Amino acid sequence: MNEVTAFWILAAIAVIGALFAVRKRNLVHGVFSLLVFFGGLAGLFLLLLAEFIAVVQILVYAGAVGILILFAIMLTDRVTGKDAFRITSRGSFWGGIIAVSVFLVLLLPTIQEIPQVDNPSNSAEIAKQSTVKALGKKLIHPYVITLEILALLLTAALIGAVTAAQGGRTTEKKMSIE
Amino acid sequence: MTLTLHHFLILASILFCIGLLGALSRRNAIVVLFSVEIMLNAANLNFIAFWRFGNNPELLHGPLFTLFTIAVAAAEVALGLALVIAVYRHFRSVDLESLNTLKEE
Repeated sequence: MNEVTAFWILAAIAVIGALFAVRKRNLVHGVFSLLVFFGGLAGLFLLLLAEFIAVVQILVYAGAVGILILFAIMLTDRVTGKDAFRITSRGSFWGGIIAVSVFLVLLLPTIQEIPQVDNPSNSAEIAKQSTVKALGKKLIHPYVITLEILALLLTAALIGAVTAAQGGRTTEKKMSIE
Repeated sequence: MTLTLHHFLILASILFCIGLLGALSRRNAIVVLFSVEIMLNAANLNFIAFWRFGNNPELLHGPLFTLFTIAVAAAEVALGLALVIAVYRHFRSVDLESLNTLKEE
């Protein structure tokens, strides 16, 4: 199987997964097709020889984000979508029009002729050396400040998420004590 | 026929617009949140495609930027879901159309 066939299969998986994720009435089914979308995208990253990003995609998105969204769905209601509740918002027609027009605007620069860079390092040459070691070195040498800021951001997000998610309960408790 | 940059750019724009469609046309806050994730992933695909087909792939700008984007997206989804749970606790619903406290009646 050459890489063009692989590209079409993975692209079809990603597009169909994304479409089902945004159009499914049942939220749990939507999250599972979102996981299929993340898997297809990880395959595309592998096809582009970014193997570390593909693994991170599976770990972070399919692992952490998918489970987090499933928990959020469990903690809120209306998961089955069996009722005749309308899933689209008011003015969703205009939302569709805006999405299609943004797509057309994005397509304009995309289909233009790109000046062919003479790319000396073709796929065989990239594939020869794994990018993981070089990525690790880059993260330590020029990008260590960015890495530390990201760690700080993740810690702040963790604390903020805990505070935001439990904030209501503590005030309720206080009110019931009073 | 070989793979070109155009294949990936068109695929990424299709995925981005699917995400935009979901974010603009659904009522459930969780679906809007994961539509935003779909849009971020389409942007990541662009970063990787430009890295792979562009100049100087040995500098690894594409994968590094994608790593940082993934980390920021993870922080965003954690905070977003915490906010969804806080909103649900307050309004007993995650329906975005019922959150109209600020709206003039």
